[in-house]
Amino acid sequence: MAGVTVVPRPGTEGKRLALVLTEDRVGHYPEFRDYFARVFDLDRLGLAEPGFVQAPSGLTYALVFIGRSGEPFPSGVEVYAVIDALEPIDDAAVDSDLWAILEWMIAGVGAPWSVGDLQETGRLYRIPAASTGS
Amino acid sequence: MSQELLELARGIRGKWPFAAHYVRVNGWRMHYVDEGTGDPVLLLHGNPTWGFLYREVIGPLVRSGRRVIVPDMVGFGLSEKPAREHAHTLDGNIANLVSLVRQLDLTRVTVVCHDWGGPIGLSCAMSNPTRVRALVVMSTWAWLRPPAEFHTRLFPWRIMHAPLVGPYLLGRHNVLARRGVYLSVVDRDKFRREALAAYDAVLPDTETRLLTWVWPRWIPLDKDARALARFTWLETELAKSQLPTLIIWGREDEVFDAGTFAERFKRLLPHADGPHLVTGRHFLQEDSAPEIAALIASFLDRLDRQGG
Repeated sequence: MAGVTVVPRPGTEGKRLALVLTEDRVGHYPEFRDYFARVFDLDRLGLAEPGFVQAPSGLTYALVFIGRSGEPFPSGVEVYAVIDALEPIDDAAVDSDLWAILEWMIAGVGAPWSVGDLQETGRLYRIPAASTGS
Repeated sequence: MSQELLELARGIRGKWPFAAHYVRVNGWRMHYVDEGTGDPVLLLHGNPTWGFLYREVIGPLVRSGRRVIVPDMVGFGLSEKPAREHAHTLDGNIANLVSLVRQLDLTRVTVVCHDWGGPIGLSCAMSNPTRVRALVVMSTWAWLRPPAEFHTRLFPWRIMHAPLVGPYLLGRHNVLARRGVYLSVVDRDKFRREALAAYDAVLPDTETRLLTWVWPRWIPLDKDARALARFTWLETELAKSQLPTLIIWGREDEVFDAGTFAERFKRLLPHADGPHLVTGRHFLQEDSAPEIAALIASFLDRLDRQGG
């Protein structure tokens, strides 16, 4: 969806991970946790390594999954842009990428969740990335 | 003085002339306004507002001979905003309010509730009944699922706070305090002119907006909901309550519509005065503050005359 693809771990020499989005309760709706577990083989890999996706801007994002005692894994996820170590992030590009990642996630989670509902919500709240139809 | 208070724009400060007070509740810094003398009236806000919601209610109630106390829930307004999701629980928020009430040693309190101020304030009242004189409820709920048909819909409610979507929309873009409130008032031009900046200003960064997507996730929608037991208890206790109660509702409220919600409060508390309908959607204080203040003052005057 929207040009987001799961990719292998990128080279990180000369790069840094810039935190751009945090979710403390990925299992609030359990199907979202199930989706990440399925896509990134988390039941097997656990905390061994992040998941990586490439977004429409060409940037790669690391999805770092968080474990919490007493809760199914993963309990949370942090999204990091993999960028040149000493460069600031392009906030507009990151924002559009995040929207594309949300669309990819909703499409993957599947019914009753729909990308159409997400896009309509984005338009209702005038999210720039939603209006450009990333 | 909090950083947010220091930075509130001059135009906002003019509408918010009240002295800031702070108290530690369960380790968190809670901001509150404390104006006037007399029997206390506790004005409680919900998501994503703060005491500013009551800016035009405070003065008339003070002039009517009441002590008016307006706390900002921990996580909102000028109170501390814990950055960890697990710091925000429904029972924790109730205990924060109980702590405030006990530290100020409030008695004969009238608890005025709106939105999440309902489950929190009413639970505080039911667990401390000897301190409470009366209840006022506005656009809120106090029972099990569903709170409203609106809250069961994917668009726009459930998808808005879905995993990662909530932190993006409500965190990065602050959509609830900006467009969300704007869409839930009647006079939107006036709101944009006079109030929107005040709600936006106290939630300046993504991290400070955490509770705006955490609280929606506490609304019980199914049998596994975290707040199920608390709402079951609250509804049971309220049904036994004989506290004088006033019901005020927004005539144009589409989320907690009066026909469903105000009437359900009336069935739960048949002795209640009202429902009194005023101009307003969910954030009815933005459209009808003077009318709301007059209704509360008149209700309390009647209680005074009856010796209540």
